[in-house]
Amino acid sequence: MEITLKEITKIFQAKDKSETVAVNKLDITIPSGKLIGLLGPSGCGKSTTLYMIAGLLTPNEGRIYFGDEDVTDMAPEDRGIGLVFQNYALYPHMTVRQNIMFPLENIKVPKQEALQRAQEMADLVGIGELMNRKPKQLSGGQQQRVAIARALVKKPRVLLLDEPLSNLDARLRLATREEIKRIQRETGITTIFVTHDQEEAMSISDEIVLMDLGVKQQVGEPQDVYDDPYNLFVAKFLGTPPINMIPGEIKNNQVFVKGAKIGGKVAKNQDVVVGIRPEGFNIDPKGSLELEVYMVETIGRDTTLIIKNFEDEEKSYRVIVDARHRIQPGDKVKFNIDEDKFYVFNQETGERL
Amino acid sequence: MENNTMNRTRIRTIIFKVFVYSFLVGFAIFVLIPFYWMVLTSFKSFEQVRTEVPPSLFIGFKDLRLIENYASAWTAAPYWEYMLRTVTVAAISTVGTIFTTIFAAFAFARLNFKGRDLLFLALISTMMIPGEMFVITNYITVSNLGWYTPLGQTQFEAMLALTMPFMTSVFYLFFLRQAFKQIPDELYLAAKVDGTSDWKYLWKIMVPIASPTIITIIILNAMGTWSAYIWPKLVAAEYPLVTNGLREAYQDFFGMVNYSQQMAAALIVTLPLLIVFLFLKKYIMRGVSRSGIKG
Amino acid sequence: MLEKQSNLKALFYLAPAMVLLSVFTFYPLFNAFFLAFLKDYEFLLRSARGFTILGNFKNVITDPDFGIAMKNTSIITFISVPISVIVALLISVALNSVKKLQGAFQTIFFLPYVTNAIAIGMAFAFIFHADYGLLNTILGWFGINPINWVGLNASWSNAMFALLVYTVWGGLAFKIMVFLSGLQSIDKQYYDAARVDATPRRRVLTRITIPLLSPMIFYITVTSFIGAFKAYRTIIGMFGETLRPPGTLSKDSLITIVGLVYDALAHADATGKMSEAAAASIILFSITMIFTLIQMQISKRRVHF
Repeated sequence: MEITLKEITKIFQAKDKSETVAVNKLDITIPSGKLIGLLGPSGCGKSTTLYMIAGLLTPNEGRIYFGDEDVTDMAPEDRGIGLVFQNYALYPHMTVRQNIMFPLENIKVPKQEALQRAQEMADLVGIGELMNRKPKQLSGGQQQRVAIARALVKKPRVLLLDEPLSNLDARLRLATREEIKRIQRETGITTIFVTHDQEEAMSISDEIVLMDLGVKQQVGEPQDVYDDPYNLFVAKFLGTPPINMIPGEIKNNQVFVKGAKIGGKVAKNQDVVVGIRPEGFNIDPKGSLELEVYMVETIGRDTTLIIKNFEDEEKSYRVIVDARHRIQPGDKVKFNIDEDKFYVFNQETGERL
Repeated sequence: MENNTMNRTRIRTIIFKVFVYSFLVGFAIFVLIPFYWMVLTSFKSFEQVRTEVPPSLFIGFKDLRLIENYASAWTAAPYWEYMLRTVTVAAISTVGTIFTTIFAAFAFARLNFKGRDLLFLALISTMMIPGEMFVITNYITVSNLGWYTPLGQTQFEAMLALTMPFMTSVFYLFFLRQAFKQIPDELYLAAKVDGTSDWKYLWKIMVPIASPTIITIIILNAMGTWSAYIWPKLVAAEYPLVTNGLREAYQDFFGMVNYSQQMAAALIVTLPLLIVFLFLKKYIMRGVSRSGIKG
Repeated sequence: MLEKQSNLKALFYLAPAMVLLSVFTFYPLFNAFFLAFLKDYEFLLRSARGFTILGNFKNVITDPDFGIAMKNTSIITFISVPISVIVALLISVALNSVKKLQGAFQTIFFLPYVTNAIAIGMAFAFIFHADYGLLNTILGWFGINPINWVGLNASWSNAMFALLVYTVWGGLAFKIMVFLSGLQSIDKQYYDAARVDATPRRRVLTRITIPLLSPMIFYITVTSFIGAFKAYRTIIGMFGETLRPPGTLSKDSLITIVGLVYDALAHADATGKMSEAAAASIILFSITMIFTLIQMQISKRRVHF
């Protein structure tokens, strides 16, 4: 089921009549049968968008299509969606089986069939043994699976997940995100999940939709978006450690940072912001850019060099180098910058040049 | 097709809304009727009440007796005296209750002493015991203390009898201890590090933080005194509080009861409660919904 | 954290409350049992002729008023409480489902809680007045002849009906408030989930709301039973100190168990009456204790739904 959002706008009105634009003229097409991560910082409108797709919120403007069908004014129960809530919303007084069967009972599926479908779904998500437990007797990860089973049991056209991993501890998070990917593959259902965690979104999504301040920033396959960010926000938001943003300038189609030439860029002469990925630095005695190492963080696989940022003490620069280099704080190191690991942004608009 | 289902759900929602609101309005009327009937009757003349069968449910502007019944209700009994006494009793017992419960709640919430949990358990168990069990002995105690003698009780003795048993309350103590318990321990430890005494910490930190709860206690306690009936009647029959005065001065038996005057009097007693409620709604409601959750 | 004991300091803070509670709460508790076992206690002389184990209880129970009081109290309890709990539940569910005017309705429904039982009792008595009352006026629209609810020689059942209406009216406010705060603490996502799953409204109520609220419903029901068992002021409000419609016999009285206690206390000067009051209060205590124990047992078992 392809989902299309056309010029969706959602405005919330507070008690004092002040208005907040949560989602602003959003245009997205979500391809059928894919796992899509809706990504952005908190307050970017991603959950609002999810709830509008679910039908729990109604957009002020714009239309929502499932395939060719306009569902904008359709009640949530008529849309054929399965929704997994952030805190799962499992009914505490019902067993796992009763929870999973609940949606089927609502649409009057015969008891025997409902039991069977509930069991199948529970087996699919790997909680088939826990059918007689109450939610309180389950771990967070198990509750999450029950919630997914409950959402899937009525064979929805679309599966929506609101921050599916945020209530899990770090170890479970890794396991569960693989599990979500597997379930999505096996069922082939169009799945949209919301998250503020870029790593989570990048790791399992077929495509990510990056939002900020209610506006779509970029859509695409995770690696493409990472490699080719349209603007400063996207570049900053993706990647850990985050990209280094350094003031620079373009002179004669050359990019200069801290007076050192790091590469070429065909553009008119101007002051710019240069973003360099931490992994884009190569140690080279003949390198043009010399930096003084302030601190060294060793994690074994590689080494992070921390460089003091004199413009903004809070945002020191980070450089990832091979662990073979033994570098001490205070060392002055020369670098070359990979051609495809730095981006040049307009200083005012943040647009990529 | 699609449009049809959409319209149907919309119509069903509207019908449901109409149903819910009618239900609520119906019960709101049920709740308001006694008040309406009181107000309406208190504005009718004695003759109108006595001659209209069935009574009219509304009152014309020219028939309105806005003051007459209130004035006569006011003078039919020494109401000023009742009110003044009730307010005095309420003030004394409320101040007493506040101080004793603040002290005790502090001890239970903040201090560590031998037998604390056992004592607290003993206290809250008394909440399950019907008040009537206490009243009997308290009546004897008050008599033994000389605060109540059926004849010749002085005003001062009556005040003692009316207030002393109500200078503290296990329920409010429990309620306030809960509020005190919610104040983070860190505040106390920080204060200790700074050399703040317990006494100062109680008054400068805990009481201000718990002030909404304390206000709730003040209001509920004062309202309780205003509606007190049984105890004052037992131990201070000659010095009635407003509610006793109301029941006795306008008691209807066989005689020609002046209903409009009676209703005016009932309204005089009810009105202060309603006014307090409307202005301090949030404190009262909070106290009530909390006490329902456990208390 | 607070391992250091401070007994002396605690004593200082506890003393005012503890002195008062000892005199007016703890001592009366023990003394009630003491009094209940005294034989022929003379209140005026403060003297008794030894002890009796069950004499005072026997006097209370064999008094014809006791049977009447038990009957009245039970009827008030077991009729008014279920009705008011169900009505309050429906009102709070309805109230919780609307947005507009919710505050106004909430204020209105809360009003009975802050009124004076005696004053409103008088108003209710007047609503039920045979000639000038509102109820008979309304019944008249439907061609029903005036009914003597609470007037001279009114029947017990009529008077009881009127009392029950008043009792339900008076009991709604507290229950609505408690239920409403319970409903508002239910996670909204349950309802969103139910909506997505196409749950019909009635099923939302019976399968989600009521089960989630059930511990609170149970708690309120039991505490209301206990409260209703102590009915007394409402009856004074409607019928005055005689506790019955004028002109009726004592067999038609609306006296309750608490009424018995105060009746005995009103005649405290007579031989043994004070002890009977104590005995009656212990009977009352025992009954409420049974309710409390049932509640504690069941809620212990049902803590985890």
